[in-house]
Amino acid sequence: MNPLLAQFLAEAADLLTSVDEGLLQLERDPGDPELVNEVFRAAHTFKGSSGLFDFPELTRLTHAAEDLLDAVRGGKLDLDSGMTDDLLAAFDLIRGWLAHVTQHERLPASAGADAAILITKLRGPLGGDATTPVVEKAPIVHVIAPPPEWLSHFEQEWLDATATWLTTTSSTLRFARYLPDEGCFFRAEDPLHLISQVPALARIAVVPPDEWPSPDDYDEYACLIGFVLATRAGHGELDHLFRYVPDQVEVVELDGDALRRFLNGEVAPEPVEAADAPVVDDPQDPAVVEDAYAILAAAQTSLRDQQEVGGVRLASIAHSIASAAAALGDISELSDLNAEQLTETVNRLLGSTPAPPAAPPPPALIERSAPEERIDRGRADDPGGQVGTKILKVDQEKVDHLMELVGELNVAKNGLTFLADSAEEEFGSRVLSRRIKDQYSGLHRIAEELQAAVMDVRMLPLSVAFSRFPRLVRDLSRRLGKNIELVMEGEDTMADKDVIEALADPLVHLVRNSLDHGIELPDERTAAGKPPQARITLSAVADGDAVVVEIADDGRGIDPVKVKRKAYEKGLISEEELESMGDQEAVELVFRAGFSTADQVSDLSGRGVGMDAVRASVEKLGGTVTMKSELGTGSVTRLRLPLSMAVTQVMVVSVAGQRFGIPVDLVVETVRVPGGEIGRVLHQDVVVLRGEVVPVIDLAAALRMPWTPDENDDRRILIVSLHGQRVGLLVEQFHREVDVILKPMEGLLAYADEFSGTALLGDGLVLLVLNMKEVLGLAARAA
Amino acid sequence: MPLELHEATATLTDVVTVDEVEPLAAWLRATEKPKVNLRRCNHLHTGALQALLLFRPKISSAPANAFLAEQVLPLLAGGNGTASRQGSEPP
Repeated sequence: MNPLLAQFLAEAADLLTSVDEGLLQLERDPGDPELVNEVFRAAHTFKGSSGLFDFPELTRLTHAAEDLLDAVRGGKLDLDSGMTDDLLAAFDLIRGWLAHVTQHERLPASAGADAAILITKLRGPLGGDATTPVVEKAPIVHVIAPPPEWLSHFEQEWLDATATWLTTTSSTLRFARYLPDEGCFFRAEDPLHLISQVPALARIAVVPPDEWPSPDDYDEYACLIGFVLATRAGHGELDHLFRYVPDQVEVVELDGDALRRFLNGEVAPEPVEAADAPVVDDPQDPAVVEDAYAILAAAQTSLRDQQEVGGVRLASIAHSIASAAAALGDISELSDLNAEQLTETVNRLLGSTPAPPAAPPPPALIERSAPEERIDRGRADDPGGQVGTKILKVDQEKVDHLMELVGELNVAKNGLTFLADSAEEEFGSRVLSRRIKDQYSGLHRIAEELQAAVMDVRMLPLSVAFSRFPRLVRDLSRRLGKNIELVMEGEDTMADKDVIEALADPLVHLVRNSLDHGIELPDERTAAGKPPQARITLSAVADGDAVVVEIADDGRGIDPVKVKRKAYEKGLISEEELESMGDQEAVELVFRAGFSTADQVSDLSGRGVGMDAVRASVEKLGGTVTMKSELGTGSVTRLRLPLSMAVTQVMVVSVAGQRFGIPVDLVVETVRVPGGEIGRVLHQDVVVLRGEVVPVIDLAAALRMPWTPDENDDRRILIVSLHGQRVGLLVEQFHREVDVILKPMEGLLAYADEFSGTALLGDGLVLLVLNMKEVLGLAARAA
Repeated sequence: MPLELHEATATLTDVVTVDEVEPLAAWLRATEKPKVNLRRCNHLHTGALQALLLFRPKISSAPANAFLAEQVLPLLAGGNGTASRQGSEPP
């Protein structure tokens, strides 16, 4: 990929985010001129940079968005929700395009059509008052591109009929002019053949030479004619067909209004410039001047870097230069597409254009008088200027790989202790063993620090997971007709990126649930004596080595009676449970599989998989979910997640000679009780600990491993806590705790649900880590 | 042979390539009231079209080929394109 394009794509992502954020803030606080300016500048920069590449749709769409924003900035329009919707949609579309560009280095084929619809929408609010200065600035309003004068080669009647048709159907046609050069026959080109291949061709017409030669002077091998054509084919199709002669073809997309205006005699004097030139409200505007410099510098770089600049690239560079020149108040003629000439023009503009006297450029710009610095600036192509610490953008995979290596290092390091033991036991050298242990402790310290450093790199603020919610809440609340304020707290709390990523889906579920089921309609709220605007609070706090995320709403809350009844109807609880269950327990029923209280299934949530899925995915992360709710005042869902998933602490126990790991967070205590103290209640072994009866499961039996405990020995029992319940596991022996990098069970082992993963121990043994929930399930089935 | 030149009529058949442009132009230049039969013509090279546009021969027989009939013939027949409006109505 061309480095300039790669740079553009990288920056586009940031620009899009800032536009999104700005628009949402703007909707809340429409009057803030600073915000409008910010969004406008982002859109403007976007358009400016996009001009360097051959993405006409992108440029046109951002141009339309920019015009609308400019009108808002100038106080000629007030931004309403409809406009915000359109603007957001436009930038969403751009985001989609850029994803496509990243892969294929061109816009998707549907770009033209998609853009046309949005452009018309965006232009809508501007079109109302055709006499205001807004329109003067951008003379063509409803048009997708200004009608070029070469349309006159088509017959009037046909244009007339077509204009009516396009207006009636609100559709557009693409018009192209193809002017083959005189010598094209010698290169085995046949323009008419090319045109005959244009799909969905509506009309062609001939562009005759200015003067036909007399029959005697006629050179039949010189191509004198050109063609204009109208087609329903997409931009992509046209680009492809004319890919060898792009500089001889000009394509515009026109709608009925544009044609009509053309027929009425309004022709844009300089169609090319009018289409792409930035809205220059004031050449002295330092922001515009700054952008123009950035574009010029970028053009200079790309002219210099690419000795053989192709026709299209050259044309688009020329475009940008012309736009920039216009912004600087210098109308240069760039009719000749000649690399040297362009370079010259750029140099002249960069070097000689005097700084606008009325508003001197900001000091930062003056400092950049050395040409080298200008070029750097062009590369960075960032008119905002990076202020603050230098930040490296690193590919996620590289960090993941680094983490894996740290894991391997830990395993290799742990091997040293075994080596020390064997040095002593097998070779009888106590000194050597001690020295190895010394080395080990040094290595251990470095490995720990390295691990901490890598973990730190992987830490992301929770704002990454929260960032999509303002938009989600806004869109959904509009759709549901609810009035909701989203409050976010503690976005800068950090957690491992895996946790953040895995958190995204559960959070969406929970917020949707709150929106859909929790929050009442404004009327209902008023009737209940609450303010009509509901509030959803997303908050995050760090709590030791865990992060706690809460989703709270002040909606109707959960009715425990209703929930119990529903659960009973669905056969999730027995009749006794229905009678005896407390309110808190009842609320937690919503996490059971197959539970949904919504009377009607909506497309937002309410298929009875939501909360169940949330609990499952949070538990997979090693976290917990709890819910508290008070009828009438709202609900709070609390997610507790480990800060990091990369390293898991496990307790190693052995059963029937085989070692297993159990996540330490589940372990409550380890006890040894004499065999006689184990009692039996209802076919279940139990042990009484401090007055509490704890069921004991024989782990060996649950895993079907033959083992009988020694009658005389004490029983070793590991007490774990799962969903607030204590369970004892009868094991053969306790070992130490180890930090392991857990690898999921994959491939042939994927079926074994009772294990959550494997880990490599320092002595090279593979440790199976138990998934306690499944193991208890197995034990229950076996009993 | 894509090009059959007779005294007053030229018959263009199948694909008229750049090789036929020169003889066609020479014939048009020399012929008093040329007539061109395009009925079985499937494609006209741009050079041939240009020659036909310059010399404006009478098209004695319309081409059967859809593209030529709908799009190219109006160019030849209509001078400045005012006559035939075949295929021009937007669907």
